[in-house]
Amino acid sequence: MSLIELRGVTRRYTKGEHTVAPLVDVDLDIEAGEFFVLLGPSGSGKTTLLNLLAGIDRPDGGSVVVGGTDVGAGRSKDLARWRAAHVGYVFQRANLVPVLTAQENVEMPLWLTDLPAKERSRRAALALSAVGLLERAAHLPKQLSGGQEQRVAIARAIVADPELIVADEPTGSLDGESAEAVLRLLARLCTERGKTIVMVTHDQHAASYGTRLVRLEKGQLTAVEVAPR
Amino acid sequence: MKIAKLVGRNLGRRKARSVMTVLGVAAALCLLVAVDSLASGLAGALQSEDGARSLVVYRKNRYCPQTSILPEHYGARIAAVDGVESLLPVQVFLNNCRASLDLVVFHGAPPEEALAQRDLRLVAGSLDGYVSERDGALVGRSFAARRGLEPGDRFRFGDVDVRISGVFASSDSTQEGVVLVHLAGLQRAARRLGSVTQFDVRVAEGADPKAVAQRIDALFATAEEPTDTRPKSAHLESATADLVEMLRLGRWLALACLVVVLTLVANTVWMGVQERVRELGVLRAMGFREGHVLRLVLGEAVLLSALGAALGVGGALLVLRFTHISIGTEGIAIPLEADAMVALRGAALALLAGAAAGLLPALQSARRPVVEALHA
Repeated sequence: MSLIELRGVTRRYTKGEHTVAPLVDVDLDIEAGEFFVLLGPSGSGKTTLLNLLAGIDRPDGGSVVVGGTDVGAGRSKDLARWRAAHVGYVFQRANLVPVLTAQENVEMPLWLTDLPAKERSRRAALALSAVGLLERAAHLPKQLSGGQEQRVAIARAIVADPELIVADEPTGSLDGESAEAVLRLLARLCTERGKTIVMVTHDQHAASYGTRLVRLEKGQLTAVEVAPR
Repeated sequence: MKIAKLVGRNLGRRKARSVMTVLGVAAALCLLVAVDSLASGLAGALQSEDGARSLVVYRKNRYCPQTSILPEHYGARIAAVDGVESLLPVQVFLNNCRASLDLVVFHGAPPEEALAQRDLRLVAGSLDGYVSERDGALVGRSFAARRGLEPGDRFRFGDVDVRISGVFASSDSTQEGVVLVHLAGLQRAARRLGSVTQFDVRVAEGADPKAVAQRIDALFATAEEPTDTRPKSAHLESATADLVEMLRLGRWLALACLVVVLTLVANTVWMGVQERVRELGVLRAMGFREGHVLRLVLGEAVLLSALGAALGVGGALLVLRFTHISIGTEGIAIPLEADAMVALRGAALALLAGAAAGLLPALQSARRPVVEALHA
């Protein structure tokens, strides 16, 4: 059984007097441990699909099942609990809380657990260490570079040890070197820790890190051949 | 506790805005506590313990001590009235009959009788000088504190020149704003020899105060200076009627203070959450629930008002404690009594106003769809 199963998923939006349907009757399976890359032009519905997988949006039709949980149904607070335990979200911008240190930012998802403070701190330090920023633990976001901020955001996404990491153009606002570091980190999480990564990008180079590429256009998915790196 | 950490830090994002809000809340709370202290002082004065058995004989149709003039010899006839246990002739001399923040009130009475009839507890100095020396005086604790008077000091006001022998406290808060002097000396200074302002009458145990008052007034009904005898509480109510009216206005001001608190905090919290809609969306995407966001935003509102309340209530208490402000009218000094209840009431109202102010932005932030927040 796949980790992620989308069956007949449709999502529509109303913009003014018009109804837009970025996803129409979409079927998709993503296996555990895949580095799945979703390509497509702007406005094609990539982020919409990502949000559905992460359980922060609901489909108008069809079902989205992740790890056996129907994330299109259920109460808002149950979905929030599910997200806290099973999904790490990496955004285009790091979106760190500016008044918290790197360590505290990484620790935030663990605030939702019953772990004692010492254990939370230990796990946050481990996550920061995994992204190579342990020495920056006490720094505020404004004291970090853009690339470092994004790595802290990745540490925040993995600290609760979720099976699924969704990344929405995680290198979109980074320079080449920082982007490369972030992509290598995501790839390592996939190969070394067995995380399932679903990444949205329109950058072909970033996409080349994926183990499976799919293009979303006009509401439909089409497979893209993966060129060996 | 984990959310509390973020609540505190969030207020530090816009320090100037938070500080100004806290100061605004503090100023409003200071005013609110002042009004409540006056209400408390007034209530305390009107609920004097011995009010039920105490009567005040005043000149009929006179409402200010400066115009109430009764012959001193009335005392002997009043003392003989059935039901009268004791009597104290009092000459009142004051600087201002109207509402005043710096009321100076002298009560001239025979020293031994004053000490016997009034509930006075010496807190500094001695009684000897007051009893034995013609210019000896005892001052009420709040008046001494307000004017910085100590035993041994001389106090001169108009033609009255006295030496402070001691400082007293009293269960009757209005007494603590009084300077107690010899009757004869005050009569001379006020050029009212042979007359007094009022007689304080103590009714015998078991006697009906109302009936005693009627008997006293009946004695002088046809005299040139007829009397009006009322229970002390009624006399105080009448004398402080202007203050009650002021207090009514004060209560509206207090309500306005609460609206100010609510508006200030709501404005600050609203701006705060508008600036970080996306950040709150990120929290929700991470797994924070609506309740967490609600608590976070409400926490900020309550913390702002709590800081303002602490500063405002604390400041007001300190000012009232060290300045001993009282407001006087018609010779009755009402101290602004800021006790623990006044402080607690002020703080509780501020916290409630803060929570009410934060409720709408908190609900709006918590209920905003995550996707919408992430696109903000």
